[in-house]
Amino acid sequence: MSKKIAKGEYIETDTGNKVSRRSQIIGTTNIILGGKTVIQAEVIIRGDLLRSFPSSNPGEKQGNPVAVAIGRYCFFSRGCELKPPGKLYKGMFSYYPLKIADHVFVGSGSVVEAALIGTHVNIGANVVVGKFAIIKDFVKILDGTVVPPNMVIPSFSIVAGRPAQIVGEVAEGEVESFDIREIYRSVGNS
Amino acid sequence: MTSFTPYTYFQCPCTDTSTSSRIFGTDSTGSEEENDEDDKTFDPRAPRAAYSLHPLEHLLYCEDCHQIRCPRCVLDEIVTWYCPNCLFEVPSSSVKSEGNRCARSCFQCPICTATLSVSSLEVPPTGLGAEYATQSGPYVLNCTYCQWTSKEIGIQLEKPNSVFAQLAKIKNGGDPYITAKERRREGSRQLTEGRRGSADTENILDPNETLDAESQFSNLKAFYQSQLADTSPGGALGSFSGDYGYGSPGALSRIMGLYTGSSFADKKSKNKMGNMREASDALEGLQISSTSAEGTITKLRTEGWEGTVSTSQRAEQNHGPRFLDELRPVPHLLRTKRSKRCKTCRHILSKPESKVSNTRFRIRLVAPNYIPSITIQPLQPPLSLLAPMKPVQFVLTFKNPLFENVRVSIATPASTPGRFASKVTVLCPQFEVGANTDVWDEALQSSSTQSSSREKRRTKEEASSGQNQAEAGKVWERGRNWVSVVLEVVPASLRTDGPEFMKSEEMKKDKGPLREGEDVLEIPVFVRIEWEAEAAQEEGGGLGKGDKTELKEKRELAYWCVLGMGRIAQV
Repeated sequence: MSKKIAKGEYIETDTGNKVSRRSQIIGTTNIILGGKTVIQAEVIIRGDLLRSFPSSNPGEKQGNPVAVAIGRYCFFSRGCELKPPGKLYKGMFSYYPLKIADHVFVGSGSVVEAALIGTHVNIGANVVVGKFAIIKDFVKILDGTVVPPNMVIPSFSIVAGRPAQIVGEVAEGEVESFDIREIYRSVGNS
Repeated sequence: MTSFTPYTYFQCPCTDTSTSSRIFGTDSTGSEEENDEDDKTFDPRAPRAAYSLHPLEHLLYCEDCHQIRCPRCVLDEIVTWYCPNCLFEVPSSSVKSEGNRCARSCFQCPICTATLSVSSLEVPPTGLGAEYATQSGPYVLNCTYCQWTSKEIGIQLEKPNSVFAQLAKIKNGGDPYITAKERRREGSRQLTEGRRGSADTENILDPNETLDAESQFSNLKAFYQSQLADTSPGGALGSFSGDYGYGSPGALSRIMGLYTGSSFADKKSKNKMGNMREASDALEGLQISSTSAEGTITKLRTEGWEGTVSTSQRAEQNHGPRFLDELRPVPHLLRTKRSKRCKTCRHILSKPESKVSNTRFRIRLVAPNYIPSITIQPLQPPLSLLAPMKPVQFVLTFKNPLFENVRVSIATPASTPGRFASKVTVLCPQFEVGANTDVWDEALQSSSTQSSSREKRRTKEEASSGQNQAEAGKVWERGRNWVSVVLEVVPASLRTDGPEFMKSEEMKKDKGPLREGEDVLEIPVFVRIEWEAEAAQEEGGGLGKGDKTELKEKRELAYWCVLGMGRIAQV
């Protein structure tokens, strides 16, 4: 009959996403994965925290509103958490989508509640990114940083501290080091 | 202890001064020694070498000079100014006039430096249609990180935008703040109209008020300008009136002549200058500091230490506050996009796009695209600390970014410089690294000779049978565009005591205890790379010679690097 497919740590999808069996992904219909993304064990992605529209255009919306949108070649380390940010706006508490672009590395144990994360971002371990933070491209966030809510981190910054402050600039020669393709290839299915 | 990641730092040649100045006298022998040392070895711990070592990613490469350039030997030119919070591009004319801070609504919390957001004080409406109601109440700035609000300094705003302009008009506590412009206007208005009774016009100029730095400066400046105009003789141009007056260019030499008492002092010119008086009240810029600190002491007693401003918070403010209620929100400092230029040939090395949103580079000549990178790995499974006096082997991997083969020669002194000299042996000092061709080219070429084109990695069986010893003169491993060689190190013992004959020269001179960083094993390596590049063909020059005569120009580059291998265990 058919070959017995060995049960590995990761489930590999058609688009090349490697999702660990021990990750906790809630609300999968509201989560978009770009492709070639690695989700390690114990990662929590809250796709259930959805935007609740007040009453606008009932006929125009498509079936599945997006809570978390992730780009290509992202890497979510063990134990990190992605939560869409929510706030009280005009009397109503609602969640807003969390959009992550390509080549984003999130370190272990970090909690990300940003609104927007740009391409080629390296987030360290045990980082807390506050609600509605906007992180632009080519940013390096060092371990243990706490990014306060609503902070905007411009491109090519190195950020550290509690609250996060810009402590340096990414050199032109470091641009290639943000690439996740090598790390993606090294993730095996043993 | 903390884990140690091996590093490789490159020395930029800009620190080498090839022309050494002759110091006459007793130091002539000293300078000769220094020259010899530069030729022979490079000591990363010498004071001379401070700040000259950079990781490869921080270095740029000048194609005209064929040299590496470090951040210290490039010229920065500003391409764009922008606010790091609102990402709004600020034209350079605004930067010159308004200063280098954001003039819109971007402020930092004075307590914790997080970004402030504007929120309304009005109670949010409830009930039907609540989402459509617009907020219009008084606004405050609040910090989402430390929960500070501008109510704590007594400031409320009318509009949620153009906060900078609104803040400029309010003092802490809510009183309106008279800017320098308004004072000048008020002052000139009073001069022209003549002083009427105070019942008519609200006299905002008080001769005894306490001024802040900016208003005091503008008052003083206006006062002195009027004094100059009054006292200096001559026509309308009071400041440039010949040799006389306070503002003239010859004033300095004339006044210094008074001190030297030369006979060329012109008594006539002295008398012509009128008497210039000093400011007499606050309107003219006089500020009498109070000699008693009663108010401050009482406040300190009531509020305590928590009510005072810390040093870093005070540094951000420009009026030197002592207490928390004197703090003001700090506007964000503007950030720049800069292009880098080689100091010697003025060639642009790095040029970003001028738009803030675009992260690409128009020109990007970075060293990792020209210099082979060096990575370090221990041959045996990694040890946390290196045991002294036990030989350890490391694998250095050189990865070639160029499109031609390069010949690499490495050299290192037999023992590392510094107090604790470890012995270093390079097992393969010369080797060739392949070109960084496309992966497809290599796969097509070597489809038949796959097994021979790459030396197989030592399998586990071979390693366990004792064949993991590297041989001198041979590379350890070779790949498409990389080569690994082995370096053997015998770390020194970190004991400062011990028999005299075992100590190095430097150790005998300096018998102090182990200093910070001395237990890190750093090896200076001199790397020389040679390759053949196509010389630039001048247009119209090679017409008669037939096409495609590629002139292969031999190029070479040499530099010092420092390899940080690991920490040596202490005894």
